[in-house]
Amino acid sequence: MNFRTMQAANRRKTIGLLVGMGVLMWCVVYAALTYFGGSGAGIVPIAVGIALISVWGSYYGSDKLVLTMTGAKLIQESDNPKLFDLIQEVIIASGLPMPKVAIVIDSAPNAFATGRNPEHALIAFTTGILDAMDRDQLQGVIAHEMAHVANRDTLVSAVAATTAGAIAIVSDMLTRMMFFGGRRDREGGGNPIALVISLVILILAPLAAMMLRSAISRKRESLADATAVSFTRNPAGLRSALEVLASDSTVVQQRSTAVAHIWIESPLDSKSVSKLFSTHPPIAERIAVLKSMESLG
Amino acid sequence: MKTIIVLGVVALIAVFIISQYNRLIRLNITVDEAWAQIEVQLKRRADLIPNLVETVKGYAKHEQSTFDAVVTARAKATTATTVADTAAADGMLTQALRGLLAVAEAYPDLKASTNFLSLQEELATTENKVAFSRQFYNDNVRELNTAVKTIPSSFFAGFAKVSEREFYEVEDPQDRKAPGVTF
Repeated sequence: MNFRTMQAANRRKTIGLLVGMGVLMWCVVYAALTYFGGSGAGIVPIAVGIALISVWGSYYGSDKLVLTMTGAKLIQESDNPKLFDLIQEVIIASGLPMPKVAIVIDSAPNAFATGRNPEHALIAFTTGILDAMDRDQLQGVIAHEMAHVANRDTLVSAVAATTAGAIAIVSDMLTRMMFFGGRRDREGGGNPIALVISLVILILAPLAAMMLRSAISRKRESLADATAVSFTRNPAGLRSALEVLASDSTVVQQRSTAVAHIWIESPLDSKSVSKLFSTHPPIAERIAVLKSMESLG
Repeated sequence: MKTIIVLGVVALIAVFIISQYNRLIRLNITVDEAWAQIEVQLKRRADLIPNLVETVKGYAKHEQSTFDAVVTARAKATTATTVADTAAADGMLTQALRGLLAVAEAYPDLKASTNFLSLQEELATTENKVAFSRQFYNDNVRELNTAVKTIPSSFFAGFAKVSEREFYEVEDPQDRKAPGVTF
């Protein structure tokens, strides 16, 4: 598979997953209606509103917010000319505007990108990754981060987070209402099978939403790897960078799950996160895909 | 009712024509910008060369033919104007510079000098930037040429005064950054 078909496949899968998220939301609304009638459905707009406010505030100010959450410090060209040289190379290859650049003082090698659009992009590197990697490897990492910027992954993950958040809020509120006996037709009964199904939907929906959200994140990581290759045409650089990350066992000090998805390598211990909820594809798999691109020449 | 439908269809056609026209113009401008970027990077590299040659000369006086090759290639590169000429001169200069760096390998004192090390890093990044600006230019030329040749955008190429553009082809078997095959 070359990077173009990889990019197309990952884009298609993202759309499929986002549609899946929409269908799930629809199922939750259906369950709310079956179980509670009009009063249940009334919760949905409230939940969507809460989710929108909480997610889109952080989406809009993502560059500043992530800086404070991760403790990254903005740097100028004079602080690290070599790094800026490499970034400018990728900028020329991608045709994107120059992002803001930040450093996280942390010996674990890692990097991330954020910002609501390419004009407000921010890419950050730990001091660990700058020390551990050579020119080609670092170029691969920068290309991966700029690929996230080019693919507008902050937007994609904000959409995923909003829907997943709204589903979680609706299910949570409705399950609470059940315990307080808020059902509409106590005497009427209704279709018992439909009631059981809606109950199951309400309980499982938040879990399914989280899985979908993680799956979207994984697809965006694979897409960023493919897009990075389209920038540098050098899969070997990113591949050996990932090998360095795979062989390194230190993890970033700051381990908030809230921003886990933005790093190039998951900062969470892989053993503690099962595959379904992981924000990143297994690193061995990513290396294998890049290797297959290398053999294409 | 009928008039509304007719107006709607006319509006849709207008939107379609405008978007096709704008797309061609946008692609053409992007190619222009990409070309300007190549020129910026080639200029940057040309500015770097006198300093590099002087530094190497300080340690390796007897490599006159290598210096001459670099200086000739640089002169050609700075005077070229057309795409084909610039590409040819660019390829020559890349080869000549590689020769110069190969010469430097034989002089440990030179290789250890801080001046040379910083020049080497600067040359490495400039070579990459030249290669990437080439690649970006060729990708955009490919997109433009495809749009000019394929339906429906091909119908509007004459109207938008946009025609196929020339690829920037450097003859260099060692160049991994500019693959000869199209994907």
